[in-house]
Amino acid sequence: MSYVQRRRFLWVLFLVGIALIAIVANGTTLIRLPFYKLVQNSSAIARVRCVSSDTRLEYGEVWTDTVFDVVQHDKGYLPSRIVVRTPGGRFQRIRSHVDGVPEFRPGEEVFLFLAGRPGAQFKIVGWTQGTFRIRTNRQSGAETVTQDSADVPVFDPQQNKFTKMGVKDLRIDVFLEKMNKEISRQAL
Amino acid sequence: MGRQTTIRRWGASSVAFFYCLWSVVAAQGYSFNQVVADLRQPANLSEGSACPIPSHQLDGPGAVVVRWSTVLGTSLQTVLTADQTPAGRLNEVEQVIQQSLNVWISVNGTSLTPSSLGTLSRVSSASACGSDGKNSICFDQPDMAFTPGVLAFTRVITADAIGIQIGNGPVSTEVGQILDADIYFNPSDFSTTFSTPSALSANPKSYDLESVLTHELAHVLGFSHSAVWGAMMFPFAPALGTFTGVRPTLQQPDAPLSDDDRTGLRNLYSDPLDTVYIGSIQGRVLPANPLSLPVAAPWVTGIFGAHVVAVDVATGSVIAGALGGWSCQAPGPVQFDGSYLISHLPIGKSYAVYAEPLDGAVAPSEVSNALVTLCRNATTDPGWPPAQGCVVPPANTQFTTRTRPEP
Repeated sequence: MSYVQRRRFLWVLFLVGIALIAIVANGTTLIRLPFYKLVQNSSAIARVRCVSSDTRLEYGEVWTDTVFDVVQHDKGYLPSRIVVRTPGGRFQRIRSHVDGVPEFRPGEEVFLFLAGRPGAQFKIVGWTQGTFRIRTNRQSGAETVTQDSADVPVFDPQQNKFTKMGVKDLRIDVFLEKMNKEISRQAL
Repeated sequence: MGRQTTIRRWGASSVAFFYCLWSVVAAQGYSFNQVVADLRQPANLSEGSACPIPSHQLDGPGAVVVRWSTVLGTSLQTVLTADQTPAGRLNEVEQVIQQSLNVWISVNGTSLTPSSLGTLSRVSSASACGSDGKNSICFDQPDMAFTPGVLAFTRVITADAIGIQIGNGPVSTEVGQILDADIYFNPSDFSTTFSTPSALSANPKSYDLESVLTHELAHVLGFSHSAVWGAMMFPFAPALGTFTGVRPTLQQPDAPLSDDDRTGLRNLYSDPLDTVYIGSIQGRVLPANPLSLPVAAPWVTGIFGAHVVAVDVATGSVIAGALGGWSCQAPGPVQFDGSYLISHLPIGKSYAVYAEPLDGAVAPSEVSNALVTLCRNATTDPGWPPAQGCVVPPANTQFTTRTRPEP
């Protein structure tokens, strides 16, 4: 690629970037679930480790029940093992699916913001919004936390502006401090 | 940000290697909901291949049938209309549903045409949605799946073999055929309402019904989410009181769609007689240093889960994006070799192509249905033939790219 071609290519990418920013500023949103609302809407918050998942047919629909071991719980009472239900899955010869539902792999550790009560299946508040993946740096062993919906610009109708909310690559101690502070504030 | 940059640099031993050609090939990497046929069934029912097939509706005359529940909110008015008379409300909502369907059947270069649509019918039950073999839209049906923050969702049931039937619906004649797709609007969140286009300006704190419906109807047609900002299939709804893209007009009924949406539809429902949208760009996204590939997954020979985007050089518009990283040739299984394919592009144009990790506005979880369903194996499906089993690796989100022309 010549210098002129490379420059033209970079210009195109730059212009595309500007165009995309303009587009998103006009129209991308979630139902706003800022961190305090996530905490507020959760009956339990826990660091969990995925054990297995299973699909079943109930109420005429296919559901995936994922079993997690509770590593630590930060809000609410939880037994040592919980089941989280999400819509969709493969059952016998049909596959039911719903886009935007988080999926988990055995062994994976996440923080989940849960709705429900012990003795029944839990749900994840806001699906991707209530799912925080834990990543471990292979070299240093340091853990960071990233929300599945991180980096999505969220429209705040009160301030009439877009803000980037969400947790991304946050050190786990900082995340825990943030979460515990919010839980304590709401407990007052 | 600094930390992220460091991580990126650490893992930045990746190079995107692109080459272009104009031909149509079998391997695909687009963001659709993929289905692998059940190979434990006889070959006449499974078609014998472990290569994923995008889930889709049949596109023959009158094949796509949709009905909608006329119950618009009992305890709370969920759907707001300009016309407040009972009959006027229903007509206004039906107009929006028809308009949203028209958006998708008006795209040129696809086999999905106005004749593919059956009659839009009404049903008086609030609980019309369910696994009954009928595509339904429900505005006042509670569902266990709803949680705060979920506006609406579409539950799609797809056949992984020929001869499957749900309820009284049609028996599947193809692998990947959608047997039932239901759209649920959240009726239980008291702060959430949806407005028809005529009522939106008077209700700026409600969501645009047409935008949400148009998005969900694409799931009914087999779309997964798109990672292109501004696409109708971007996973997040427009802000309160606003709508996605521009409103459809008589002259341009597909106006709300982006080029990415149109290209996706042409991939899903390709028109064999089309002579315009027949260009393809394919290639592989490979690491500069093969040692940077996951050690625990020796079957992975390229970057998996890269978002590969084609940009029209003349206009700077994103024409299409695809989730790359794999290829498949019958009888399968999928090879995770970094391949991508962007097909059904308009010919006679020049494109710039770039690859990016899914670590921005869209995360791998947002498009997981297009990624995690590429494989089946003896663990997920006891009795699966070992030679056609595979395991989907995690999406690679820690790479940066530079481009170079074909040698």
